[in-house]
Formats: sequence, structure tokens, C-alpha cells
Amino acid sequence: MIYRENGQFKTTYQADQQIFTIAQDKIFVLAVIAFAFIGIPFLVDEYLFRAILIPFLILALAALGVNLLVGYCGQITLGAGAFMAIGAYAAYNFFIRIDGMPLIAAILLGGLSSAGMGILFGVPSLRVRGLYLAVATLAAQFFCDWAFLRIKWFTNDSSSGSVSVSNLNVFGWSIETPIQKYLFCLCFLVAFALVAKNLTRAIIGRQWMAIRDMDVAAEVIGIRPMYAKLSAFAVSSFFVGVAGALWGFVHLGSWEPAAFSVDRSFQLLFMVIIGGLGSILGSFFGAAFIVVLPIFLNQFLPALGSLFGIAISTAAVSHAELIIFGSLIVFFLIVEPHGLARLWSIAKEKLRLWPFPH
Amino acid sequence: MGFFIETLIGGLMAGMLYSLVALGFVLIFKASGVFNFAQGAMVLFAALAMARFSGWANAALGGDSLFLANVIAFMGAGIVMWIVAWVIERLVLRNLVNQEGATLLMATLGITYVLEGIGQTLFGSEIYSIDVGMPKDPVIMFESLFEGGILINKEDFIAALIAAILVAVLTLFFQKTPIGRALRAVADDHQAALSIGIPLNRIWVIVWCVAGVVALVAGIIWGSKLGVQFSLATVAMRALPVVILGGLTSVPGAIVGGLIIGVGEKLSEVYLGPMVGGGIEIWFAYMLALVFLLFRPQGLFGEKIIDRV
Amino acid sequence: MSKKIGDVILDLQSISLRFGGVKALTDISFDVREHEVRAIIGPNGAGKSSMLNVINGVYHPQDGKILFRGQERKKMEPHMAAVQGISRTFQNIALFKGMSVLDNIMTGRTLKMKSNLLMQALWIGPARNEELAHRRKVEEVIDFLEIQHIRKTPVGRLPYGLQKRVDLGRALAMEPQILLLDEPMAGMNVEEKQDMCRFILDVNDQFGTTIVLIEHDMGVVMDISDRVVVLDYGKKIGDGVPDEVRANPDVIKAYLGAGH
Repeated sequence: MIYRENGQFKTTYQADQQIFTIAQDKIFVLAVIAFAFIGIPFLVDEYLFRAILIPFLILALAALGVNLLVGYCGQITLGAGAFMAIGAYAAYNFFIRIDGMPLIAAILLGGLSSAGMGILFGVPSLRVRGLYLAVATLAAQFFCDWAFLRIKWFTNDSSSGSVSVSNLNVFGWSIETPIQKYLFCLCFLVAFALVAKNLTRAIIGRQWMAIRDMDVAAEVIGIRPMYAKLSAFAVSSFFVGVAGALWGFVHLGSWEPAAFSVDRSFQLLFMVIIGGLGSILGSFFGAAFIVVLPIFLNQFLPALGSLFGIAISTAAVSHAELIIFGSLIVFFLIVEPHGLARLWSIAKEKLRLWPFPH
Repeated sequence: MGFFIETLIGGLMAGMLYSLVALGFVLIFKASGVFNFAQGAMVLFAALAMARFSGWANAALGGDSLFLANVIAFMGAGIVMWIVAWVIERLVLRNLVNQEGATLLMATLGITYVLEGIGQTLFGSEIYSIDVGMPKDPVIMFESLFEGGILINKEDFIAALIAAILVAVLTLFFQKTPIGRALRAVADDHQAALSIGIPLNRIWVIVWCVAGVVALVAGIIWGSKLGVQFSLATVAMRALPVVILGGLTSVPGAIVGGLIIGVGEKLSEVYLGPMVGGGIEIWFAYMLALVFLLFRPQGLFGEKIIDRV
Repeated sequence: MSKKIGDVILDLQSISLRFGGVKALTDISFDVREHEVRAIIGPNGAGKSSMLNVINGVYHPQDGKILFRGQERKKMEPHMAAVQGISRTFQNIALFKGMSVLDNIMTGRTLKMKSNLLMQALWIGPARNEELAHRRKVEEVIDFLEIQHIRKTPVGRLPYGLQKRVDLGRALAMEPQILLLDEPMAGMNVEEKQDMCRFILDVNDQFGTTIVLIEHDMGVVMDISDRVVVLDYGKKIGDGVPDEVRANPDVIKAYLGAGH
């Protein structure tokens, strides 16, 4: 009834190649963005910002990057955490070693450093494919784990091995309170999501997908695999690196290499697979799911226990969390291997016909 | 020279242990096309079961016969692994037939979490020891050949021997028995195997069960060396370079790959490590595997991929 | 019908290709003239697809020379062949399954699009205009192949015959000089075959594209091709206009067996 494309005729190719070809979609997404900017800061308390919203925004950005590589270009990576680390540590070094380095510039430079390393670690993808490549990307992960722990230069010779930043500000506005941090991350996410969407609907996006779907045919019609794959690694690592810098600077404030361990890499891969490979929207769904689920279980399980008069120990809760988290992942993969984004599009299809399904 | 050979032998023996874990990966990948990240969790799970059963059986027998307790525990843990295999096939694999590699990979990561959670809930999360009577004292050999002789850890030596025997048994099982033939048929082509009446689901249970027993043996050896604790699950990470170096589908590849990685790790640790601050053996193994892959993208013994269009 | 068949555009000289010990092609020479329809026929396993793969650089022959417009080419990669203007379709349809028909055909324009990554990321000026200009071109191909109604459909959902047509569309979008068609009519019903024949002849007529095709349907081959080369067990056993080939005793033997 409400959600229809009837009567919305496209008379130019430009109109037909917009991001949202259906007016209702456009209005809906703009409304969500407006609400995120204006509504949420008035409605939410500090705990939610710190525990859920800020991690969600940053990890969604990282998931977006991973999705460009895994979902669009078909190169599985298990080393995304490493590129978050590179982004964070590179931004840190730019920030503290160069006087007067603006915060945003440091973060973007962190992303660029990560992109450079992404190209380097993407080189094996030219020879090695599929699961072999996935395991090979772990090389990046373990190498970075080691490098940021052992090479003291990266951590500015800090004795504890952890680094920290403070007094963040952008154009004189300080970024201290959760609301400010939230808005700062939100700006990044919106801008990068737009870039991701543009890339995936342009030539480069088609080249990535062509390589993903049938690499030999892609080469035969003139796509250079080297360019397509390495550009995917670079762009993806850029996104992930920026997310890493935000994670360190804005969310954590001070951090150690363990913040970007292999578990983080798996977490990001979970996000894109549960959210939906090859879907921008899916990255958001996946990030929301993976961020919220552990917090929910953590709150919910003891409450459930006390309902039945059983006191559940912390250890038991953490074990139960593992079990439930693992089972839910398997469950989701079985029920909808194409991710939450597919469920969303099915819902939209249904809505188009509602309330007259025939 | 003596020190070099000592390092080399140490590396070879450590490599056999990696091979043992890698073998579990290869078996499952061959038969079901699943890259089983949960192999490490299975090693942990099996080792936990073994350690606890052995402790309980020993207590029940009054501490008279450690050997008997271990035999009972081994059988008990074997049954547990069979149940694990059966449940995984029932609840996961059967529902994910024909999905893409990445999806299956993620599913096994999910299984990893579940196994870690259940294992620690059932068997506790402290550090346990497994005592299967492995000799702990090192011996010195070839004193006549080298000055000071070569120090060999008996425990490692026996572990390597057990691994070698297991590999031989598995090779025979694959090549000579009807079940082995069915397994190879399934590995080649699921649909074709199904169409000539090989029960796919049962084969998968068998393979996961065999992989479970391999995990059990690996768990016992690693567990008696290092103690049974949560970090045992990370041996999977150590074994991954072995798998891709040897080739995902090759049993001999797992062995040779294990030996190469074992030796490479030990040598790099001893000769290269001090120069860069140590702790390099984990990523060095991956880099080593990566360099090999650049020359042979399908691993040493993997099947060559010919693009057909 | 007076067709202007031009000079030799592609000249293959004693090509041999081996996979390990298996000889896929042995000492094969033939040429392709501009604007002609050249067919390659032969029984299964004769090496026809391998021949096409050699022409557009997927396989590298161990021996022999390939001259394109008189220039010998060194070992080259498939995308270089694309740059030279050689495009192809595939026997087992190699479309990009996750993409729409429109996007699939748009990939054929990749080589002609020049805007850089940054412009694409921001979707500004040149990148957007280029996208629209090429969209217009692609729509012409879509009109030509009469597939307007499915342009936004993911190709994975299309029936076989239409997929073949999209495959052709993607190759045409490259505006090739030589079009290699690997069994364009395999598995089609009579009606679909007629459509496909019409498209092939139209391409040849309207755009002057040189066509090299592999086909099993003898009726089709004899009808639409100007010259035919016959392969058997990786060797050339016949070459010439359809009538010559039809009368060639070796060809008859290969197709019908020695007894006839």
C-alpha cells in the first residue's frame, strides 16, 4: 500500500542509476540518518553510547570494508584485525610524532597506511585462491600482532606496551563526551557508506564482482585481475584502517595489540557473513547483531537464572555465552546463508504487494 | 654442528605433532569440503574428556592401575568424539550441504565456540594433566659422532613415533578398506558417490569421527606435554600453515608440510629470533607457507587447478 | 549478398599445445580473414575450445606463432587480447551470476572507461558522465538482442537460452574486431537457434565483426559460415568453404567412422 514504485517512471539513465530508485527507500534512509544525528543524542543514555552505539558505528565501518573485499571481490580474509591495528598504530604515530597534526588527517593517514599494507598483503591473492588465500591472510594478522608488540618504535617506546591518546579535538571542538564521540563516528560512517555505495555501483565495483563470480571470464573481457584485486585490498584496508584508528582513538583511548587480535578478524568476518555478503546494508545488520548479542546474553542469562532461583557463576555465564553465540551463528547460517540483508529484501518484496498479495 | 642437528631433530619431532593436527583438517576437507576451523577445539575437547575420564577412572579403581584407567578413559573419550561427530553431522553439515566455502568455514567457527563452551562446562576450565606414562627425561645420543652428543627428548620421540604409526594406519585405512574407498569416492564427487549408493551422511559421520580420534591422539600428546588447558585450542592456528603448505587434500602433504614447518620454525627461532627480538615462530610459519604458495598455489601435494572455460 | 571479405586479420601458424603429456593441439595452421564467419568443427575432444583459448590468451601454446594484423604476439594474457579487440563467449556460460544483466553487459565496457578510483568513489562529474555515456551504448546492445525486459534481473535467475544471449551481449559491448563464439547454440531448441543465428549474422553484417565460431549443428555451420576448419584429435583434417569440407573424405571418416 505504502511501499510502491508504481507511477515512478524513469526518463533518463541518470534517474535510473540513482542509489535509491524507489522514492520511499530514499525517504526512509534519509529519515534514519536524520534520526541518528538529531533524535538519538536526546534519547539515549551514556552507557548505551559507550557499550553499544559507538562500537556499533566503528565496527560497522570496518565490516563495510571487509564486505568490499570478501563480499564484492570474493577474496576471503581472516586478517582484517591486522589492518585495524595498522590503521590505529599508524594514526597514532602520525598524531604524536608530527606537531599540530589534525585528528581527522591522522585518522585518514592511518587508513592510507593500512591501504598500502593491504596492497602488499594482497599480492598473494594474484597467485593463491580461496581457502588457501584465507589462511595466507592470517600471515598479516600474526605478523602485525608480533610487530606491534615487539617493535618498540611503533608504540613510541612506551614501557607498558600500550599507547594512549587524549585531548582529541576537531576544529576546536573537543571530542570528549560519549555524544560527541558518537556524532564524530557517525559522520565517518555516513561518509564512508556513501563512498562504498558509489564504488560498488561504478566500474570498479563491477570489476570486483566480475572477479568474484568468474575470474577467467573477467580477464577475457579485459579486466586486469591484478588491478581489480589489489584495488579491492587497498580500498577495503583503507576502510578497515580508518575504523581501527577510530577504535583506538575514540572508543578505547588507550590500547594494546590485543585489541586487534585474530578474534577481532573473525568477528568482522562473522558480521559480513551474517549480515549478508555483497550488501552494504548487510554490513550494518551484521555489525548490530554481533555487537548487541554478547551484551544481551551477558545481561539476560543471569536474569534468567535468578528467575529460576539459580545463581549462575560468571564462568558459567561466559561458557553459556560461547555456546549460545556459536549455536546462533550456525543457526543463522543454516536458516539464511545469504544473511540478514536477504531477509530484509524479502520483507521489502512482501511489502510491495501488501496488503493485496495476489 | 651437533647443536644444528639437535635443533633439526627437535624441529622434525615438533613437526610430526603439527602434522597430527593438520591431518584432522585434511581428512575432513577431503571428505566433506569443509575447512574445519573447529579442529583445534576438537583437540581441546578430546583432551579435556581424556584428562577428566582418566582422573575419574583412576579414582574409581583406587589408583591401582594407571594403565587400565587410561584405556578406559581413551575409550570413553573416543565415544565422546563419536557423539560430537554425529551431532555435528546431524545439526550442522546436513543442513549446509552445497553451501559456499566461506559459509562452511564460518559454521565451523561457530562450532568452535560451542565446543569450547560445552567442553569447559562439562569438564571444567582448570588446567588438567594427562599422564599416559610418557618418559620425561631426555637422553643424549651419538656422543661418538659429535662433541657433547645430541640431546633428544624421549617424550617428543615417542610422540613422533605414535604420529607416524597413526599416519600409516590411516593411509592403510584409506587405501585398503571398503570404507576408505567410499571415502575417497565421496571426496572426488559427492553427487556421483551418492548416485552409486554410498550413504553420504554416514560417511561424513565416519570421517568426523576419525578426525575426532586423530584430535584425541593429538590432544593426549600435546596435553601430556603442556597440560590440558584452554590454549590447546590454539594449536589449530599453528597447524594451519602446515595444511596450506602441504595441500588441503593431501595426507602425505600434511606430513611433509608439518616437517617443513616444524624445522623452519625451530631454525628460525634459534638463528633468526635473537636478531629481531624473538617470538617470531608463529608468523614465520605463515610466511614460510606463503612463500611456498607463491610458487605452488595449490600447496606441495594439492591437486593442480586447471582453468577450464 | 555481396560481403566484403578482407585481408587476413588473424594468422595461426603451426600451433601446438600440450598439457603435461597430453597433446591438445598438434601443428595447426589456419587463418581468419576480416569480416568473414569462420567455423571450427570437429568431434568432441578435438581441441576446438582449446583453439579458442589459445587465440585469446587463456592457454599459451608451446610452439607456433600467432599473427594479429601482421604483428606477431608474444606470450600474452587474456586481457591483452581484449585490448586488441578480441572478445568471446563461453561454452558453459561464464556470466557473472551475482550481477544483473545490465551490469554484466556493462562489464564489457570496462576497457573503454577511464575515470579514476577517486572520482568513482565520490561519483562526481567525469565518472558519472562516463557511466551514463556507456549506459547508452549498453542499452543499444540490449535493444539489439531484444532483452530489454530482463535488464535488471540477476543472470542466475534467467533460463539457459537467455543467458547465452546475455553472454553474447557482454562480448558485443566490447565492440570487438574479432568475436569468438564457443558453441553459441549448444542446448538450444530450434527457435532459439534461429534467433541466435540471426543475431550472429546481423552482427557480422551491421558491424562488420569477424566471427570465429565453434558449433556442432552441421546445418547451422554450413548455412552461416564462409569457411570451415575441421579438427580431429588435435590435428587439422580439413579446411575450406563448406562444400569442400563436406566432400572431404577425411572429414567424412572422422564424423561417420572408418566403415563408411
